[in-house]
Amino acid sequence: MINRVVISGLGAVSPLGHDVPSFIKGIRAGKSAVRQMAGWDKYIGLRSRVGAASVLTGEKKIPRKSRRSMSRMSIFAVQAAQEALADAGLDTVICSTGRVACIIGSTMGGAESLNETFEIMLPDKDLSRLTAMKFFQCVSHTAAMNVAQYLGVTGCVMATSAACASSLQAIGTGYDLIRLGRQDMALCGGAEELHPTVTGSFDILFATSISYNDAPQSTPRPFDEKRDGLVCGDGSGIVILEEYEHAEKRGAKIYGEIIGYHTCGNGSHVSQSDRISMQACLTEALADAGISPGDIDYINAHATATLHGDKEEAAAIREIFGRSVPVSSLKGYIGHTLGASGALELIASISMMEEGVIYPTLNLETVSPECQGICHVMEPFKKDIRILAKNCFAFGGINAVLVLRNGKYSNDQ
Amino acid sequence: MTNNNIINLTNQVFEESFEIEPDRLKPEMNIFEDLGLDSLDIVDLVVALQQKFGVNIRDDERVRQIRTLGDIYQFIDSLKTD
Repeated sequence: MINRVVISGLGAVSPLGHDVPSFIKGIRAGKSAVRQMAGWDKYIGLRSRVGAASVLTGEKKIPRKSRRSMSRMSIFAVQAAQEALADAGLDTVICSTGRVACIIGSTMGGAESLNETFEIMLPDKDLSRLTAMKFFQCVSHTAAMNVAQYLGVTGCVMATSAACASSLQAIGTGYDLIRLGRQDMALCGGAEELHPTVTGSFDILFATSISYNDAPQSTPRPFDEKRDGLVCGDGSGIVILEEYEHAEKRGAKIYGEIIGYHTCGNGSHVSQSDRISMQACLTEALADAGISPGDIDYINAHATATLHGDKEEAAAIREIFGRSVPVSSLKGYIGHTLGASGALELIASISMMEEGVIYPTLNLETVSPECQGICHVMEPFKKDIRILAKNCFAFGGINAVLVLRNGKYSNDQ
Repeated sequence: MTNNNIINLTNQVFEESFEIEPDRLKPEMNIFEDLGLDSLDIVDLVVALQQKFGVNIRDDERVRQIRTLGDIYQFIDSLKTD
C-alpha cells in the first residue's frame, strides 16, 4: 500500500529571524540578511567576507544536560523542530511512539566545534583539553541525533549528508518512509552553521561572491549578469511530514501534499552540476508525481548565484518548461544555507502557496544572457499555485527535486 | 596557592562549565546527587580542573574517590605536596 504524505507543521531559524513568521516577513519585505562578517579579515586567503548568519538566542531554555552535546546548528534544529511540532499541534510525547522519524541533514556538521577541536588538538598534538562533548557537537549527524534525543524520538533517526541537497533528501527520505507505511510521521529538514572554514571551502573552489564585500546586500545575485558566486548562510528548517489519513483524523492543518520526489547523481563532475542530470532529476520527479510539466505553477530554484550552476539550472528548466513556469531563487534574501536550504526554501515556497504570491529573486536586475529563456520572477507576482517544484543541486553532483501540491487542493487527487 | 584560591577557582569551574548557581556551591554538596553531574560531566570536570590549575589529573586514581565539592578542594590541595 502506498500512503499519501502531507506537510502539517513548519519550523524555521533563519538569518531573517527566529521563527517562520519572521522569516516570511523578511522575504515579503524584500530584506537581505547578508552582512559583512566581523573578524573574517584575519583569515589569509579568504576572499569572501560576507555571510548571512542566524542569531543564536533562547538556547538557555534547553536544559544544560541536553544542550551540552549540541553545536550551534543543533540548537537551531531543536528550536525549529519545537516550532514545527507546535505549529502542527503536536505534543512531544508523540515522538516516543516509535512511529515518528527524525531525519535532519547537514553539509559540514558542527563547523565551530570541529574547528575548536582542531585548535585545541593540533598546535601541540595534545588531546588533554578536549571535552567529552566535542564528538557529539562535531559529527555530521549532530542535528539529527540531538533533536531526536531532546524530543525522545524512538522511530527512525537518520542524517542525510549531501551538501546543499541534504535537507531535501531528508524530506524525500521521510516521504518514502511514510508512503511505504514504515512511519506515520517524520520531523525532516536540515541545519547548517556559518563559519569561515565553510565559506572558505567554497572560496578555494572560486564559488563564492568576492566583489561585494563592501556592498553585502547586493549579493548573492542569482541568474544576474553581475553574479559572482554564492554567499553562505546558516540556520535550520524543519517540516512535519504526516500520513494523510493520520493528519485528517486529528484535524491537522495540511499545508501541502508531497506528490513527487527524485534524487540522482550526475556521475560526471564533483563540483560542476550539469543540465542533463538536473533535467533528468526534474523529469523523474514529475513522473513520480504522475504529472506533466504544464501542471507545475512555480519552480523554487536552487540558483546560488554561481556562474556555472545558475546557467546549467536555467538550461535544465528551459528545456523542460520553456518560459511557461515562474521561477525564483531565495538565496538573495538568506544566502545559501547549504544543508538547511532545501527545507527553509520549501517553507518559504509553502508560504507563497498559501498567499498566492511568488516572491521575486532578490538582486536579479539584469538576467544574464546564459540564464534567459525562462520565466524569471523579478517583482512580487500574484498567482494561484496548485503545484510547485523545489530544486536542490549539490556539490558532489547530487540532485534532488521535490513536487508539492497545495494543501487547499488535497482532495483533488 | 591558598585554600581560598582553590575554593574560588574550583567553584568557578562549576559555575562556568556546569551552570550551577554560586549559592549552591558548599563543600558538603555531593557532586552527583546534589549538583547533578553525571559520568560524562566528570570527563569535562577533569579537563576543566586541569586547565584551571595547570595540573594533570586524568589518570590519577584518586579522582574516582571524589564525591563532594570538599573532596575536590582537598584533592587539589593535596597535589601541592605530591
